[in-house]
Amino acid sequence: MSYVLAKSQNNEILEAGECGGAVTSILKYLLDEGLVDGVLALSPQDDVYDAFPVFVTDSEDLLKTAGSYHCAPTMIGDLVQKYFIDKKVAFTVKPCDMRAVEELITRHKINRDNIYMIGLNCGGTVSPVSGRKMIDLFYEANPDDVVSEEIDKGQFIIELADGSEEAVKIHDLENEGYGRRNNCQRCDVKIPRKANIACGNWGAEDGWTFIEINDEKGQELIDGAKKAGILETKSPSDAAVEGRSKVENIMIKMAKKNQDATYPTVSEMTEWSRCISCYACRDVCPICWCFENCELNKPYFKDEANIPPVPIAFQGVRLSHMSFSCVDCGQCDDVCPMDIPVSLIFDKLQKKYYDRTGYVAGVSDDIKPPLYSPEKTEL
Amino acid sequence: MSDDLKIVGLLCNWCCYGGADTAGTARMQYSPNIRIIRVMCSGRINPSMIFKAFQEGADGVFVGGCHIGDCHYDAGNYKWSRRSKIVEDILEEFGIEKERFRHEWISASEGEKFQRTMEEFHKTLTKLGPLELE
Repeated sequence: MSYVLAKSQNNEILEAGECGGAVTSILKYLLDEGLVDGVLALSPQDDVYDAFPVFVTDSEDLLKTAGSYHCAPTMIGDLVQKYFIDKKVAFTVKPCDMRAVEELITRHKINRDNIYMIGLNCGGTVSPVSGRKMIDLFYEANPDDVVSEEIDKGQFIIELADGSEEAVKIHDLENEGYGRRNNCQRCDVKIPRKANIACGNWGAEDGWTFIEINDEKGQELIDGAKKAGILETKSPSDAAVEGRSKVENIMIKMAKKNQDATYPTVSEMTEWSRCISCYACRDVCPICWCFENCELNKPYFKDEANIPPVPIAFQGVRLSHMSFSCVDCGQCDDVCPMDIPVSLIFDKLQKKYYDRTGYVAGVSDDIKPPLYSPEKTEL
Repeated sequence: MSDDLKIVGLLCNWCCYGGADTAGTARMQYSPNIRIIRVMCSGRINPSMIFKAFQEGADGVFVGGCHIGDCHYDAGNYKWSRRSKIVEDILEEFGIEKERFRHEWISASEGEKFQRTMEEFHKTLTKLGPLELE
């Protein structure tokens, strides 16, 4: 594990990218050298509240994907296993993406040799709908005029078309029920250390990207990109390394505080009676990979006459299948048409499982999913 | 029958089922509320089977397996013992008392232990009353 500061040598990328454009440059290097068949990246749509993943095979198109999108929380893990299983592909990962990919690797659904994971430090994401509402309420700007957004130093900063900026403290936003998504507020994995490299601006000087190299593959990547003349690097000062870990620690501390506050049991939550058995939470879950073989589709659990379903025969079954591997990505919350905070309960049980075994989904180094290992140990 | 509490029992073929058999052939008396389902190994019991039992109206679920180290398939009961912790955690979430779910290691020769366990479990469930899932 080592640290470098990096910056793109390509002027176009420098301009389009955020803090040095190192990520886009590395992706360009991978494509140009033919190390991957394609790059899976987020492409912005009409406004800052919308971006979706695109498969880029021409490095010219990469420019459009540069920049950060906090209001478009996506999940890369299940895309890779569903559509790119036999392709060599590089993609950027938030910590929850990385954890999902790691869990899928242990389930033999993704081949580690086929992928390059470029990690992005993540302080949290904002749901597009509440993001819009929040800007309407707390900022003096019209949500439609926002051209870019950034989370920095505990503030959610928006930039308008005329170049002016406006910032509000995330803490204040979250006290009012806005700000980052609930699962992000309690997430305590901020730096994706299982990705090949983890990039971000924490601790970095202006115009540079701070990169933590996590493994040999990551080192080769940086060396290669340097050799190809697309990236310039220098080693960071001790103060920079320290500054970065300070940011991380503050974030983790905040997350722990939020973890203490929330987590009622299912039987205490009235929201569950709203369930309409649409299975959207299961379908979107990156860890659930059985698809049509899902036990919930079996005749002995299919209960179409009963809506809302008996919670234990629906979420209970899902919980027993994968709650110990929940990566707390919050996708189930996002897709639920009845706004049930589904992820709350899954994350809670993963935390309970952690208390029992010390296993953190997608972060611990276990080779087998913990419940399926042949080991002769009791809990 | 004096009451209609329903207990679903999932018993491993090699040990606990034999234990129940021993209790039966020795004419040991225990409350007749248990409905026994024989499985080949406690390691093949999924948490969803327990949940299904509760959903279908069981007031308690009992799982019996071989003693640790005696598994006919080497490590099946280790797997079950780890899984049972998850079951406990999940049942708690759905407002089902953890006393309604019990598991015990009972060998084929321990008819007396099977009898005793059943009596105890029945007593616990009588105290708790029938399960009401909302």
